[in-house]
Amino acid sequence: MDLNFTPDEQAFRLEIRQWLKENLPANTAHKVHSGLHLSRDDMQGWARILCAKGWLGFGWPSEFGGPGWNAVQRHLFEEECAMAGTPRIVPFGPVMVAPVIMAFGTPAQQQRFLPGIMSGDVWWSQGYSEPGSGSDLASVKTRAERRGDYYIVNGQKTWTTLAQYGDWIFCLVRTDASVKAQAGISFLLMDMKSPGVSVRPIVLLDGEPEVNEVFFDNVEVPVDNLIGEENKGWTYAKYLLAHERTNIADVNRAKRELERLKRIAKAEGLDSDVRFQDQIALLEVDIVALEMMVLRVLSAERSGKKSLDIAGLLKIRGSEIQQRYSELMMLAVGPYSLPHLPDAAQAGWQGDFVGAAHCAPLAGSYFNLRKTTIYGGSNEVQRNIVSQVLLGS
Amino acid sequence: MDFDFSDDQLALREAVQRWVYGAYSFETRRQVVQGGGFSHSQWRALTELGLTGLVIDEAHGGMSMGAVEAMIVMEEFGRGLVLETYAQAALIAPAMLRLAPTAIQQQWLAPIASGSAIVVLAHQERAARYRSEHVETTAQAHLGTFMINGMKSLVPAGDMADAYIVPARMSGSVTDPSGIGLFLIERKSAGVSSRAYALQDGSRAAEVSFVNAEAQLIVGQEQGHAALELALDIGIAALAAEAVGVMEKLLELTVEYLNTRKQFGVPIGSFQALRHRAADCKMQLELARSMSYYATLKLGEPAQQRRRSLSQAKVQLGQSARFVGQQCTQMHGGIGVTDEYMGSHYFKRLTCMEMQFGDTLHHLGEVTMRMQASAGVFA
Repeated sequence: MDLNFTPDEQAFRLEIRQWLKENLPANTAHKVHSGLHLSRDDMQGWARILCAKGWLGFGWPSEFGGPGWNAVQRHLFEEECAMAGTPRIVPFGPVMVAPVIMAFGTPAQQQRFLPGIMSGDVWWSQGYSEPGSGSDLASVKTRAERRGDYYIVNGQKTWTTLAQYGDWIFCLVRTDASVKAQAGISFLLMDMKSPGVSVRPIVLLDGEPEVNEVFFDNVEVPVDNLIGEENKGWTYAKYLLAHERTNIADVNRAKRELERLKRIAKAEGLDSDVRFQDQIALLEVDIVALEMMVLRVLSAERSGKKSLDIAGLLKIRGSEIQQRYSELMMLAVGPYSLPHLPDAAQAGWQGDFVGAAHCAPLAGSYFNLRKTTIYGGSNEVQRNIVSQVLLGS
Repeated sequence: MDFDFSDDQLALREAVQRWVYGAYSFETRRQVVQGGGFSHSQWRALTELGLTGLVIDEAHGGMSMGAVEAMIVMEEFGRGLVLETYAQAALIAPAMLRLAPTAIQQQWLAPIASGSAIVVLAHQERAARYRSEHVETTAQAHLGTFMINGMKSLVPAGDMADAYIVPARMSGSVTDPSGIGLFLIERKSAGVSSRAYALQDGSRAAEVSFVNAEAQLIVGQEQGHAALELALDIGIAALAAEAVGVMEKLLELTVEYLNTRKQFGVPIGSFQALRHRAADCKMQLELARSMSYYATLKLGEPAQQRRRSLSQAKVQLGQSARFVGQQCTQMHGGIGVTDEYMGSHYFKRLTCMEMQFGDTLHHLGEVTMRMQASAGVFA
């Protein structure tokens, strides 16, 4: 056992750090470090910079044009990105659907879709949840009926993050209603510009339209857009969710936000408030423990000797930590988090703040992050999974 | 010892309930939010119910009621998420003005009772956090009156109030509890300006600045800070009662959701993990209700005992509001974090309460500080 990264891994980290120093736009990093609103251009701009270096698909194997990094290298890359203040890579394309296309798509589909994902030119959305299918995802009702060379799709998806920017959407659709729920689902790729697709924003409690409802009204989808076999979509969906779970533990972002919390606490004069500092210290211990847990999973993944049964815990703990740091930031500024000044969370706002500029985005971000214990399989569902493995039933 | 309400108190609750459920629907409230967070027509409705004069003496046109009646009103306002700053204008301001010279009482109490004047406490300063003795705003005697200079933050309905009750320093250092006087300043006086904004819960507040603003003395520097502490304690008791109403309604919404939302072919309320969590929410609600009663019934005690009890109540309120707010939101899944859904607004109100009149950690400190009085062992 060795807690230290190998000399090669340390050199790799420095290479990433140097590249980030030279390529991450200062304005974007400032927004990330200050919790300010990121526009589509901020996110896409960063995606293009990564793409030029071949790192947008940083988890991709070399045979598909990725860097072919192992689990530890991927972690180091993500950690350096987080600490430097890069926007998060919008995951739906490069992190979610791309691995599914690589694993289960045809060579023709791979050639057709992967370049657009790799270049960041095509914005993907995720069409999983439906109004009646949240935790019980296998109950999806959006229907796809085969008619010649097309599927005719009717139904509705919801909670579709940033679908307002979406070019394409990958969806779980029901292709057989006569069998057990999981057995009648297919995995379909759809052009969101197709006739019959409409998007309606859902405003969240922080006032931002971050998610959407997506409606399908007799949408024609070529059968060529089916991934793998018809009615095998549940297998592909589970493959994708397994990827998503490690990704949303997000310990690296937590480390960066812990530093931000300390800066805010200092600026608010809490550096002599032992009672508040203890709260930060407790969070720091939680984050160190989560990081060690993440590293153990990565180490096991790299060595391939045995898989750890703790991956499911990462999403639970990671999301709780995200909520806690946002809560402590809000409490650090106390009453000055109360004013609701939505425009003040935009970079370069020229209006009058109430309190310091750093106060403005904090309550909104606390409200927004309530979603983290709900999305990607709620923490209740995650605990069911953990306990099923633990109890064997 | 008796925790039953009298018939008159029950009748009061019913009257307030009727107004909240009838006239102050969630859609009406949404319009008030969009209109800036304070509605004069809703305020008039409260006046017509007599509520603006609830605790004001009959001699000044009020109803001469007490803290328990105030608690009842606040609970019902909590259930309806009433935005208008009732606790400030109808509970805190009259209590402070009662300490003022007769002329000031004569001038203000009747208009407050009749609804034609709104007076609010303006105490928050930028560097003060929750320390009530931190007062940088200054008061200087000037030709038989006083001139006030300084800035106050987060003043409820601060651009609409007719007058403010302002703690200002007459002597001593910035954090000295002695040397603070309470002053009455009219909004339309020269040197007073305000900048209004919405709060996260949809209510309205303002930054108010005073530049050589003329003021009348309510309480002098010997008793000023003690009076301010009483004002804050009245605020805490009101908040505790309001929180009970907010949590009660939010838990009702959640129970209804648990019983109707189906996943895996059954209502999600059949899952034991969620049933236990709902039971824990009920626990937190009833603990908070108990401490709300405690807070209200301790308001009349001598300052030392009152301060300790009100801090204990705020700690319980903070813990209950956090748990019930977060868990009821969680049990709703995605619906719970949408603006369209009523429940998210209850969660936001509970969140804001934590940071009003001192947060949980602040009041935990207040309780700790007074522990030596409890057994002598920590002295």
